[in-house]
Amino acid sequence: MKRNIAYIILIAATSLFISSPAEAGTLDSLQLKARAGYSIGGTTPIPLPETIRSIESYSLTPSFMAGFDAQLPLTQRWGIMTGLRLENKGMKAAVTTKAYFMEVVKGDQKMAGLFTGHVEQEVKQWMLTVPVQATFTLNRWVTLKGGPYVSFLLSKGFSGIASDGYLRKDTPTGPKILMGKREGEWATYDFNDDMRNVQLGIGVGADWQVYKCLGVSADLNWGLTGVFPGDFKTVEQTLYPVYGTIGLFYRLK
Amino acid sequence: MNKYIILIGLCCCCMASCIKDEAPNKECDIESAWIEGAEYEKYFYQTTEMRKEKISSAETDIYFSVRSLISLSKQIPVSFKITDGATIEPANGSMQDFTQGRVVYTVTSEDGEWQRKYNVIFVEPQLPAQKFSFEDVETQTEKTLLGGVNELHVFYERAMTDERNYCWATGNSGSALTKNGSKPEEFPVYSTPDGKTGRGVCLNTQSAGALGEFMKKPIAAGSLFLGKFMVDFVMSDALKATQFGVPNGKEPVRIIGWYKYKPGEKFTDKDMKEYPDRTDEASIYAVYYRNTDDNGESYILDGHAVEDLDKLSDNPQVYKVARVASLPPTDTWTPWEMFFEGRDAPDGLVTAQGFSLALVFSSSKQGAQFEGAIGSTLYVDEVEVLYEK
Repeated sequence: MKRNIAYIILIAATSLFISSPAEAGTLDSLQLKARAGYSIGGTTPIPLPETIRSIESYSLTPSFMAGFDAQLPLTQRWGIMTGLRLENKGMKAAVTTKAYFMEVVKGDQKMAGLFTGHVEQEVKQWMLTVPVQATFTLNRWVTLKGGPYVSFLLSKGFSGIASDGYLRKDTPTGPKILMGKREGEWATYDFNDDMRNVQLGIGVGADWQVYKCLGVSADLNWGLTGVFPGDFKTVEQTLYPVYGTIGLFYRLK
Repeated sequence: MNKYIILIGLCCCCMASCIKDEAPNKECDIESAWIEGAEYEKYFYQTTEMRKEKISSAETDIYFSVRSLISLSKQIPVSFKITDGATIEPANGSMQDFTQGRVVYTVTSEDGEWQRKYNVIFVEPQLPAQKFSFEDVETQTEKTLLGGVNELHVFYERAMTDERNYCWATGNSGSALTKNGSKPEEFPVYSTPDGKTGRGVCLNTQSAGALGEFMKKPIAAGSLFLGKFMVDFVMSDALKATQFGVPNGKEPVRIIGWYKYKPGEKFTDKDMKEYPDRTDEASIYAVYYRNTDDNGESYILDGHAVEDLDKLSDNPQVYKVARVASLPPTDTWTPWEMFFEGRDAPDGLVTAQGFSLALVFSSSKQGAQFEGAIGSTLYVDEVEVLYEK
């Protein structure tokens, strides 16, 4: 069902490209831009729960975006924009936790409990994103934009290591399972298959045409759906993707 | 555009600075227990007996082994190290009378929401019997967070007092970690009504399931031994989880018993790689070792020490080893016998409980390395430790 809706939006978005230029009067004013960018951000619980005690490290995994979009002015200042982007949203973070609820599921077996220690987590996602944004032309050079987006996941990865600490099975009085600092002594997990295939969110940004057809852009994309469906309890909190992108664009038309 | 970079920056800072205040501790464990004071030393065979450092998180009975309960002072202070912020009742280090049986201590977590009850029990030397018929078993139930109830067998011996002596340990509590709603017979070790005489013990090598395989611990061999199983170490250092031996004030000469054995079909290693030319074997062995090291610290023989049984005699703590040479597959009760070989233990130290006896049964010889055949089944019963030459 979700997938069907996604395709409809995708078709609607592409049809805008194709059909728009045919309409008289708007054809000339249609703007086409090719863009590429570099994203930083994280897939994070918002706000951080009290069971996360510190962020030890956060490393940027290369996250790129490339795509094109079409902007159709509706009035002198206002317009509508859509496009198609291929992007990846990655993250690598190390945190320390105290009594953080975790559930490890493998096959028909499950183990749940409270983990205190060190968690290293890696998120890798490749997706096709279709934004639908309202645009506001501030002046000749600067355009502000904002609106929802939908992302279709092409590949998903969510894995990590729980080490150097312990899991209290079931409750704080359950068996205390120590985890070591080396491979074989720690617990690993991967929940790739459990991730959502479609993500929704809100994006805001600005395009600044700097020189002739060339410009720079900045965008902030805030996920409104967690990366996991609501019934997935393995990680204590809903994790939202929040990424900022700095990019270049080239105005084709 | 700059303002957006600032905005992104602010968001990142906001997330990093959103670390909330630390919540009070939820745990309420006794981590160690000890008796302080030279005036109490006379009640113990060895001063190492006055400290219990390795208390498993799954354990709620703490034993102190004393020379005699009758001559024990009616006022003894036991001190505890408990989880930070937790409280204990009766008070830490308060004088208590242990001559009338167990004293129950209640530990309450810092957040006040969790409690654990511990029994502190003073007993006369650990090994109450020299003949083990495995008639006494209790079913322990544990409710898991995922809604199931695991039921598993725990073997015990009857002590001279009314107390049950849990000198036998199994790896069942390790298997229980990934089980949810299993019956006693679904565990690697359980009590069977079809013993040689009365009840007996069934040990079987099992698959540890997808989760076990994922954690490179794909099989769980059935193992029963005199000692303690520290479930705490199953992930970080599985060989440390098996702590073999209980103090025994008599030097054993041989051990006899009965068995039945059937090896499983496919022999696999820790990566579940099959070895068609290998057949699983059962293992029965015993070690008599000095339970205090040269530094006066208590010594316990763990899974690391017995990794290679051929090298056991190189261990300075080990005095005698007994092994059943072979246990051919059989489906009828068959007797076995093993003799202790090695050096003689000094008599004075033996009677002073300075030596421990480890007696180990396993359905897969290499089970500690997660090698064996799923389905290998060893039955044991009517085991007797003999002291005459």
